Amino acid sequence: MSSESGTGAAAVDVQRRSLLDRLRVDIYAVWPIAVMILIIIATALRSSRYLTVFNFENILSQIAPLGIVTMGQAVLLISGGLDLSVGYNIALSSIVTGLLLEHGYPLWLAIAAGVGAATGVGFCNGVLVAQNRAHPFIITLGVSLFLFGLDTQLTGGAPVNDMKGLYTAFGGNLPAGFPFFGLPSLTIPFVILILLAFAFLRWTPLGRRAYAIGGNEEAAYLSGIPVKRTKIYLYTIMGAIVGLAGMCLAGEINEASFNLAQNFELESIACAVIGGTALFGGRGGAFRSLQGVALWGIVQNAIVFAGLSSNYQQMALGAIIVVAVMVTRAQR
Amino acid sequence: MQPSLLDVEHLGKHFPGVQALHDVSLTLRAGEVHALVGQNGAGKSTLVKCISGVHPPDEGRIVFEGREITTYSPKHAYDIGIAVVHQRPQLLPGLSVTENVLLGHYPTFGGAIVDRKQGIERTRALLERFRLDIDPLALVAQLAPPERQQVAIAKALYRDAKLVILDEPTAALDAERSERLFAFIRDLTEANVGVLYVSHHLEEVFGLADLVTVLRDGELVATRPTGELTQDEVVTLMAGRRLEVVGGAGATVAEGRKTALEIEHLQTDVLHDVDFDVHEGEVVGITGMIGAGGHEIARIIFGLDRPAAGRVLLAGKPYEPRGPKQSIANGVFLVPEDLARDGLVPEMSIAANVTLVDLGSVTRYGVISLARERAVARRLVNELSIATSSIDTPVRNLSGGNQQKVLLAKALTAEASLLVLEEPTQGVDVHAKAEIHRIVRDLAAQGKGIMVISSDVRDLLLFVDRVIALRAGRVVGDTAAADTSYAQLLDLTVGAAGAVA
Repeated sequence: MSSESGTGAAAVDVQRRSLLDRLRVDIYAVWPIAVMILIIIATALRSSRYLTVFNFENILSQIAPLGIVTMGQAVLLISGGLDLSVGYNIALSSIVTGLLLEHGYPLWLAIAAGVGAATGVGFCNGVLVAQNRAHPFIITLGVSLFLFGLDTQLTGGAPVNDMKGLYTAFGGNLPAGFPFFGLPSLTIPFVILILLAFAFLRWTPLGRRAYAIGGNEEAAYLSGIPVKRTKIYLYTIMGAIVGLAGMCLAGEINEASFNLAQNFELESIACAVIGGTALFGGRGGAFRSLQGVALWGIVQNAIVFAGLSSNYQQMALGAIIVVAVMVTRAQR
Repeated sequence: MQPSLLDVEHLGKHFPGVQALHDVSLTLRAGEVHALVGQNGAGKSTLVKCISGVHPPDEGRIVFEGREITTYSPKHAYDIGIAVVHQRPQLLPGLSVTENVLLGHYPTFGGAIVDRKQGIERTRALLERFRLDIDPLALVAQLAPPERQQVAIAKALYRDAKLVILDEPTAALDAERSERLFAFIRDLTEANVGVLYVSHHLEEVFGLADLVTVLRDGELVATRPTGELTQDEVVTLMAGRRLEVVGGAGATVAEGRKTALEIEHLQTDVLHDVDFDVHEGEVVGITGMIGAGGHEIARIIFGLDRPAAGRVLLAGKPYEPRGPKQSIANGVFLVPEDLARDGLVPEMSIAANVTLVDLGSVTRYGVISLARERAVARRLVNELSIATSSIDTPVRNLSGGNQQKVLLAKALTAEASLLVLEEPTQGVDVHAKAEIHRIVRDLAAQGKGIMVISSDVRDLLLFVDRVIALRAGRVVGDTAAADTSYAQLLDLTVGAAGAVA
């Protein structure tokens, strides 16, 4: 950054500019938080029922599965990739678990199979993306359509309506004795995943490689980074995260079906980008992406409180995405 | 005699810190091939860019067909009949030949609907006029490089260019295709088009041009009819006076040292029986014109390409890397030519870029120690005196010279015993050049073998122990830097002498 030392008459001018600069930098980094606070204040002034623990618990449980997926999506975006098969892969994991539970298999086995199926899909995504020069957009889109067919085939179109032990685990709030006592059960996996994503990106060689590949794939390759293997690892990890999100979502609403997580692929990308993760790689982070998730949840909830139909939710969210991209552009 | 088509009068152009052109005058007539020769950095491309409207000149004027050019833009130059064919033609590979040739000027019905039939016919007629056997409907992506070049020329000629500027047109062509290009250029002159031919291949220049203009350090050295000069005389004009060699440690350095690298009879499409050694503690320069093969040697050593025949020995042992990862593990590191594209991750900090080659060294139990990483980065920033306020600065904010140093720092973290540097001083200022020279000498003093591939011969002679001259994929010279000169190397890599050896 430029030096802040100025002499004589120029000093005042320099100081004024640097103050403005500093202010602008802050706005770029935390504008989602600023917008959130404005929305919260505005909605709270209109409705006395808004600022309640219950309402914010509600937002938290609503946003947790998407938030979990967004953490994984952010890592992929940073590495220059993305995963459009998220929605139907979540559905697949829930369906595998749901069907096994329905047939009386133990909970641990059903969960292992569900998460395992999603991880397997992630691994396939990784191999296909690493071995092809085609853009991950089209590859994971193809995988997504394949999964849609698989999901409906497995369930025959009818949802599994009893997730048994999974519902007991994730359907309610945390009992006494747990950390975050009283908050939705989904808080625990969500918080764990945020911390894991943060630590992964900041402190692990694999996370560092994700930034390098997304920032300049050729330079990463010439630096001796095993680019293909790294991509396979990252997509496989994404698969496991998707499996976890599938368990959370299916447990929360006690259902497994092909349309369990519709639009999650685009919404998770949108949340990460709103938080400042670059769509074409190299930049971004866990907490920044979390800001996007939080804004997403707050806006959805505030529109309900404003008494507007869900159509306005879509309009507002769409507008936020466009603003986010403009802000990111202006920042550069 | 024809009236002149182009008159360049006392042209001057400077860029920050550099006088790129100084008092250059040149006259070109219709139907004439005028060659422009000079070493790298002599000002050839700056002159071409002034004539083609990319850079407005700072002094002097350019007169085209008797009218002074006052508007400097590539579009204006094209509109008045000046067409430039760049070394690497800018075509749209996904479109057809016709669509490329007519881009922006496609015939239409009433300005709204494309007249496909007429467009194809016009292109066919144009291609036939110059005896080009190219299908107007073929996709450019399917054409071989020389055909693409011809499409680029056809595109330039579509709107009846009166002056065609060809910039190193044969760099990507083999002998037979070059011949076809020459025949084509002769057709152009028959059609009364003036040709400015920029090249460092003197044989071509003498086979083709009526006049040759020699530039050196941005100044005009001479303009003569090619019949009145020999190739040797042109080389002497390009080189100027014999340069004093500051030199490296001298020829004796290799005596008694172990070899770091042995290249034995390498053979590829480009390289022919390339054979040389690099000793520990030795800096070996490899020079040659564009396409002479230095880049290909670097790619083989770093495991990016495999030779058709021949082998590479590293510290006496056969070495066949499968990619950069194995090369780095074996102690070989490549600093690529295009830093922004291949060398660094621009968004990442200096610290993160430096440790990228060996994350293992700063990782304990699977966790990167940021403290350790910062310590490594800080040490290297000091050691190489990288000018930055912080090791957290993204490398995209650094100057070219400092980016180059960050790459050298990567080589140090990789603990390479053999370093291959491609064009390490390209595009950096004089001060940074001197620093890079010093760092390279320091690294050699630590016992590393260093190979510097550079087309900047004068710069190379300032810091290498030995120079290997390449010409068209063959080693044409291998001498101690102290025993050779700029002029001699230029003669080997460009002039007639190289063809024999």
